[in-house]
Formats: sequence, C-alpha cells, structure tokens
Amino acid sequence: MNKKLSAIVLAATTVISGVLAGCSGTQSESSAPTPSTTQPSASTPAGKTTVQFWHSLGGKNGEYISAMIKRFNDTHDNIEVVGTFQGSYDETVTKLQQSIAAKTAPDITMLERAYVQMFAEAEVLEDLTPFMAKTNTSKDDFPEGLMGHSVFNDKIVSLPLNRSTPIMHINKTMLDEKGLAIPTTWEELKKVSEALVVKENGEVKRYGLSMPYDTWYPIAMISQAGGKFFNDDATSIGFEKGEGVKAFQYLKDLQSTGALYYPPAQDSGNIVNQMFTSEKIGIMFQSTGVMGSVKSNAKFDYVTAFLPKDVAFATPTGGANIAMLTDSTNKDAAWEFINWVNTDPQGGQQFILDSGYLPFTKKMVESEPIKELWAKDPNRKVAYDQLQYAVDTNKDVAWPQIMQEFFKAIQAIMYDNKPIEPALDTFKKEAERLLSE
Amino acid sequence: MNNTRVWQKLRPYALVLPAMIGILLFVVYPILYLVKLSMFKYNLLNKDKSKFIGADNYTEIFSRGDFYNALLTTVLYTVGVVVITMALSLFIALWLNQNTRFNALVQAGIFTPHIISIVSIALVWMWLMEPNYGLLNFALKAVGLPALPWLQSSSTSLLSIIIVSVWQNVGYYSLLIVAALKNIPQTIYEAAALDNASKFKVFYKITLPMISPQLFFILVIMTIGSFKVFDTVKIMTGGGPNGSTTTLVYYIYEFRTTSIGYASATGVVLMAIITVLTFIYFRLLSNKVHYQ
Repeated sequence: MNKKLSAIVLAATTVISGVLAGCSGTQSESSAPTPSTTQPSASTPAGKTTVQFWHSLGGKNGEYISAMIKRFNDTHDNIEVVGTFQGSYDETVTKLQQSIAAKTAPDITMLERAYVQMFAEAEVLEDLTPFMAKTNTSKDDFPEGLMGHSVFNDKIVSLPLNRSTPIMHINKTMLDEKGLAIPTTWEELKKVSEALVVKENGEVKRYGLSMPYDTWYPIAMISQAGGKFFNDDATSIGFEKGEGVKAFQYLKDLQSTGALYYPPAQDSGNIVNQMFTSEKIGIMFQSTGVMGSVKSNAKFDYVTAFLPKDVAFATPTGGANIAMLTDSTNKDAAWEFINWVNTDPQGGQQFILDSGYLPFTKKMVESEPIKELWAKDPNRKVAYDQLQYAVDTNKDVAWPQIMQEFFKAIQAIMYDNKPIEPALDTFKKEAERLLSE
Repeated sequence: MNNTRVWQKLRPYALVLPAMIGILLFVVYPILYLVKLSMFKYNLLNKDKSKFIGADNYTEIFSRGDFYNALLTTVLYTVGVVVITMALSLFIALWLNQNTRFNALVQAGIFTPHIISIVSIALVWMWLMEPNYGLLNFALKAVGLPALPWLQSSSTSLLSIIIVSVWQNVGYYSLLIVAALKNIPQTIYEAAALDNASKFKVFYKITLPMISPQLFFILVIMTIGSFKVFDTVKIMTGGGPNGSTTTLVYYIYEFRTTSIGYASATGVVLMAIITVLTFIYFRLLSNKVHYQ
C-alpha cells in the first residue's frame, strides 16, 4: 500500500517537475542530499555500526581519503565507515544545512574551517571534550596554529584534518637567471617581481607575481602589515590604522607596472597554477595543497618559502576540519574513527603523506615517515614550519556573510580600480552591520 | 443511476486531481513557504534559533545599494537580450522564409546552439573571450581593432553575457517566427501585390500583424526568462567583476547559505516584479495583437 502510494507520488513528482523545469530553469543547484538510509544496515553482520562520513575531496585526494577509510574498515570488524564525496566545501555546507533540517545528516563530516563557527553557533556540532578525555587525547596533541577554529564557547567542536596554508611558490630557475635572491620582505618581493617582468611591444609577456582571487591573500597581507581582520571585540574590522589600505596599495602598485598579474575571478586558482608551471609568472602565492601537482608539472627548479613579511611574518590557515554532528546516533563509533585518524600511523598520517596536506598532530610531525618525506622534499617542511606564524583573525559567526562583502571590496579595488579607501570604508560599514546582528 | 450522475460531476475533478496535488505540493506550498521564510531571520541549521522579524528583510532589501544595482543589471540584461534577439530572429526568419536547400541548412545550423547545454556554451565562450589568447580578441586585432577585456572588466562583462544568450536563443526564436510566417495565407500577399503595395508596406501592414501573436508570446516568455537568468552568470562571471553582472537571481543565490530569510524576501520581490511585468504586457499589448 505504502509502496503504491509512493510510486504515485513519485510519478506525479516527475511529471510536475518536468512541467516546472520548462518555466524555471534556475534550480540546478537543488540536488537533494543523499539520505543515509543504510544506518543500521541489514546486510552487514549483527552488531556492526555504520558511520556516515561526508567529505569534499575529489580527484586524487578523494582516492587518498577513500583508501584511508578502507584501511579503517579492514581493521575494524564492528564498525563500517561509509565515506561520501559531497562536492566542494560550499556544496557540502549547503547539503549539510538541508540534511540537518531533514534529520538525514551524516555522523561525521568534513567542514571547511571558516564555517565551523556558524555551525557551532547553531548548536549542531557535538562537543568532543568528553570523548577526548576517554581516549586520553587533548588539545595539546595538535599544533596550536591549526586549532584556531576548533574551540567555540569552551567546547571543542572540530579537529583539524586536511589543512593547508598559503605559501610562496617560486620558480628558482627564473630568479637565478636574473641573479635574484628569494624575497623575504614586501620590499624585496616588489623589487624581484618588477625585475622579472618581460614586456614586448608594450604588452606584458611575463609577470612577476600572481595569486588566486581569494580573501586569503589580502587577509594574510593585512596581518603581515600588523593588522587584524576583526578587532578583538569582534565589533568591527581590525585594520583601521591603514593596514588594509597599505596592503591593497602595495598590490595596486605592483599591478600597474605588470609586476602583479591579478587573475579573473572565475577559476583563478587553475589559471595561476597554469601560468606558474608554464613560466608566465615567476612567483605565486598559493595554497600548500597544490605543491604536489605543481612539482610534477614544473620543468624548472621549484622551491617554496614563507610569505614575505612587512612588519611581521603571518599567515592564515585553510582547509577543513572534521566534526561530529549532535544528531548522530553512533557517536562512540564515530569517535573511534576520528581517534584512529588522529593516532594510527595508517590513518591520517598516511593520508598526509599521500596528499600533501599539513601534518595535523604533533606525533605525526615527529614520526619517521614524515621526517623522511621532509628530507626528500624540503618544500613540504617549509609549509609546516610556517605554521609558527599562523594566525586566524577572521573568526566570527558572521564571517561567511562578511566574506561576501570583502569579496566585493576586492573586486572593486583590483578589477575596477576604485579608490581603495572608500571601498574599504563601505566594507567596514557592512561588516559592522553584520557583526552587530 | 444517481451514482452515475455524481460520478459525472466529480469526474473532471478526479481527473485533474493528480495534477492539482502536484501543483499544490510543488508550486503553491513552496511559494507560501518562501513568503514565510522571508519574514524570518532564519537559521537553517537549528530552527529554534530562527527569529521572526516581520518586514525587516524587506526594509533591508530596499535600503541596500547592491539590490538596486542587481535590479538595474537585470533590467539592462533583459532589455538587451529581448531587443537584440527579437530583431535578429525576425530578420533571420524573413530571410529563411524562402524555401531553398541552403536555407534549410542555415536553419539547422542556427538552431543547433539551442540544443547544446548552456554549461558547455558558457565554457566555450569563456575560452573565446579570454583577453590574451582568445579567438575573439585575435580576430579583433587581426582587423586592426583594439582588443576588448570581455568578461574581465565591469564595462564589457554584461555585454558579453548578453551576446552569449542572444547567440544561444536566436535560432530557436527564428524557427518560431518562420513557422508563423509560413502560416500567413498567400492570398493576402497576392491581393497586396495586385494593389501594388510597396515591400515595406506589405511587411508593416500584413506580415507584422499576422505574426504578432507569436511575437507577443516570444516577448513575454523571453522577458520572464531573461529576468531569471542565472546559469551563464554563475559559470562565466560569478556575478563580477565588481557586481557588474550580478543579476537578481544570482543575488538571491549569493545569500543562500548565510541568510536564507533575506534571500527568500528577495525571491518574493522578484516574483512580484515578474507578475507586474507580465500583467503590464497583457494590458498594454494584447489589444495590439492580431488573433485570427
């Protein structure tokens, strides 16, 4: 009976949505979340718990995380972790929002670190403190630079997983040709990138520096200039003493001479990667996450270095954390998986070795395989070492909203040559409005 | 006997019932829900944290500069797409109206873009419009014209999107108009020829009025469709640079994860605008349309 009814409803839905599609055509994004119907699965032997795990890693990294999940399942008879790729970080967030409302959310999920506060504020993330106490793990097992988004109202709501930072990627061959040293300050970076420019008939054929279109790099530069993104009370922006103007003015100066190539917004990451490996730019600010693919594509001496400093070295962090959802019914099993990822050499550590993300526990850093890897590929060590300067000052529940406004300011300044100060003033006004809500 | 009469009365309702259930469930209910959401500062993750704020979202919409910016962009886009597509497809249709083998080929050719997915089209055009290596700028330079920044400057980005939409649509609408032209009885033209009417007059007094129902249909459909443009914007520009291609629907989309209440309120406003537009069209133009 029930089956028949649902069949009718389904048929009606198909017909209607066909009709609707004819006049809407804007619904492309509304893919329904995969319902986790397999919870206490019937096909698995009795007593086996199924843990749903959503992640955002596709391609090679997706294979690496699937391999990690398989290693866990092979060694644990009573737990089955089902990993599901849910698209990009943003898409995963959208699907989580839908599934939490529909009570079909997974037990654990990968969550881009900037969204953690928003989820924690809605009280949908489980406090991991009691679980950690049970397995004798603590906050101190993790590098401090990666814990910026883990604590909310004294609760540990997420732990680092696939984390990255922006870093300076350098075509050393190109610098050597001109007899240039690797820049460590803004001043030096300016000289080097201007010296790398090649012009033919007034057209720039080779640029010095580039970076993807993202809030990451301006935020990094603001903190290098001594500012903070939000002030300490989180009531307004924290770069009012001219740090923001200074950072953007620096970029505009470089842009005007051809020393900086600022890519178009769409697909900017791939564009700059391609320009870097095809030697159309000499230096790029980019995530540590691309080191693997750049290394395999570059036909020149490729090195990495800290982002240059202005008054101080500083870098934000990125990537995603792992979090447990409050509605989960299999919390102990879920924690066993998270704990295994954190502590077992076959867990997160192997995943880090495979993928190139940052090691995220202190034990991993001290482990033999990681040390061997760093000896072989010093670029990956640079990325970890830079974490000592990691500082995340854009933490707030309202950040995802404020990020949109900040993007608008970046676009106005970088693409439309709008005066910097008024653009940042407009942004400040919007930010204050959103922070006060 | 009585039973049959009752059934006869009920039958039409019973027959439309499945469709009506669908419409109620998937059209009416979502719209009502949208209106409800628009009055909340809604927390998608935790319903208990949602706040009823009445018309605050609407006040915010009308006090924000970026909403008017999005509205203006949408209007410019719509006017651009509708005017250019209408003019071009009318012109092409008149030309294609002669039955030659070559015309059949052309007709198939210009219709092809319509059956290709808009995603592929947008991606191909992004390559064509690439400022440094794209084919369009190569062509411009080859004939001695200055290269355009296309999608990467706020002064040309909207135009670029309009070009892509027109290119995709023009074949389909030409086909509709050709079909309309073929339906005009030859006898009228013969009569006009006997009266020695000029070509322009024939077009203006006979052709245009005879195909006006189709033109009107195209106008309404295209206006509504253009007002809801999303896919090309999402793929090609992401609303930029600097908001120059942020249309209303994309504007709504931008707020989907962070402020669903505000997004819903904007959705309601968009719905109202389209309703009013359609209403005006029917009021103003329907008397001028010649139905046979």
